[in-house]
Amino acid sequence: MNKLPAIISSIQQSGTILLVDAEVEGQGFSALLIESVSRLEWLEVGKSIDLVFKETEVSLARNLQGQISMRNRMKCNVLKVHKGELLSTITLKFKSFTLVSAITTRSINNLKLEIGDEVDALVKANEVSLMKTPQAGIK
Amino acid sequence: MENHLIHIDIEKLMHTANGPMKLTVKTEIGSGELVALFGPSGAGKTTLLRILSGLTDPDKGVVKFGDTVWYDSEKKINLPSQQRNIGFMFQDYALFPNMTVEENILFAQTVKDAKAASELISIFGLNELRKRKPSKLSGGQKQRVALARALARKPQLLLLDEPLSALDAEMRVMLQDEIRHAHELLGTTTIMVSHDLNEVFRLASHVVMIENGEIKKTGKPETVFSDNTISGKVQITGQIARIERQDPINIVTVISGSNQIIKVIAFDSDLENLKLGDQVMVYTKAFNPIISKLG
Repeated sequence: MNKLPAIISSIQQSGTILLVDAEVEGQGFSALLIESVSRLEWLEVGKSIDLVFKETEVSLARNLQGQISMRNRMKCNVLKVHKGELLSTITLKFKSFTLVSAITTRSINNLKLEIGDEVDALVKANEVSLMKTPQAGIK
Repeated sequence: MENHLIHIDIEKLMHTANGPMKLTVKTEIGSGELVALFGPSGAGKTTLLRILSGLTDPDKGVVKFGDTVWYDSEKKINLPSQQRNIGFMFQDYALFPNMTVEENILFAQTVKDAKAASELISIFGLNELRKRKPSKLSGGQKQRVALARALARKPQLLLLDEPLSALDAEMRVMLQDEIRHAHELLGTTTIMVSHDLNEVFRLASHVVMIENGEIKKTGKPETVFSDNTISGKVQITGQIARIERQDPINIVTVISGSNQIIKVIAFDSDLENLKLGDQVMVYTKAFNPIISKLG
């Protein structure tokens, strides 16, 4: 899974749906969640958390123009391309972090992705989970 | 049914294959609960069971069954096994070789009651075998006799150490139902060591998870095996049954606590600390699953 350390900047709630905004090195991310029966105690503005999303949920775009609904948009550079028969993985550098996207080999070939290329990595807000950051000193 | 809260507060230094380990257990077990002791081998589960049975003494501490003190190191109380009104079945159980199945069960009864013995024999599917000697029984059949014998004295506390380990899957599920049936019928408190997550979910009302001699978590199975450090609302716990590599991904088969088979795609980084047989949590967000009516 992909994990990005973030700090919660705001939480909007409507009924049981929560829209959580968080910042990763100054860049905004959004995660759409359903509220738990008991509110998770670590889900609060100002708290450090991890944004978690699966490799298969990361779409890639090159020279992206126009408007797009996806809120989580990361400017990345391609570090590595691993081609499988149908599915491939692309390792990306986003700020000081490493991300992985898994897309079809066909799409990689269409995009003509090469090491060093600049791409936008996109993730829908409802694909992002929040995880409590493991704290040092706690068993 | 009388209320017999079991109060355990003990310490014992154990010598394990990995060197000395201190078993420290402080907990209370409610009357009539069916408790699963869950955790890796060598964590101290069997030792705790033996301490409750009176076969092993702790270094210090207190064990109380309701108002009766079974063990108190300071007051120098140590009630012998026979006076604790328990039924137990350990992994190294032995049946009396010179007695038939029926005689083994009758012998264990404190008050001789042929009708009750006969009931146990049929509950555990031993009717055809009642006149046989243990040497003429299979491993699974012996386990069923040992289980029936543990229940023969109508114990207030039943201690079972992996009671179904020698049985095939079908017999296991059947006897899980029988254990639950007997547990409810007798109104006993049952404490069972199990390595099998499915068994824990099927049987236990309460789980005590032990690791390295310490209680790590206690509670209902669904609470103990769920994870509140992640926001994902669809959480399934299970055991890894298979990992297939299909470059560049891996397909992991997980058998859930309710015996459902789930397949999950995992990347190499996910598998760094996972291997076959590991207990895992599979989670996804409430937004992803699609729901549709069966049939």
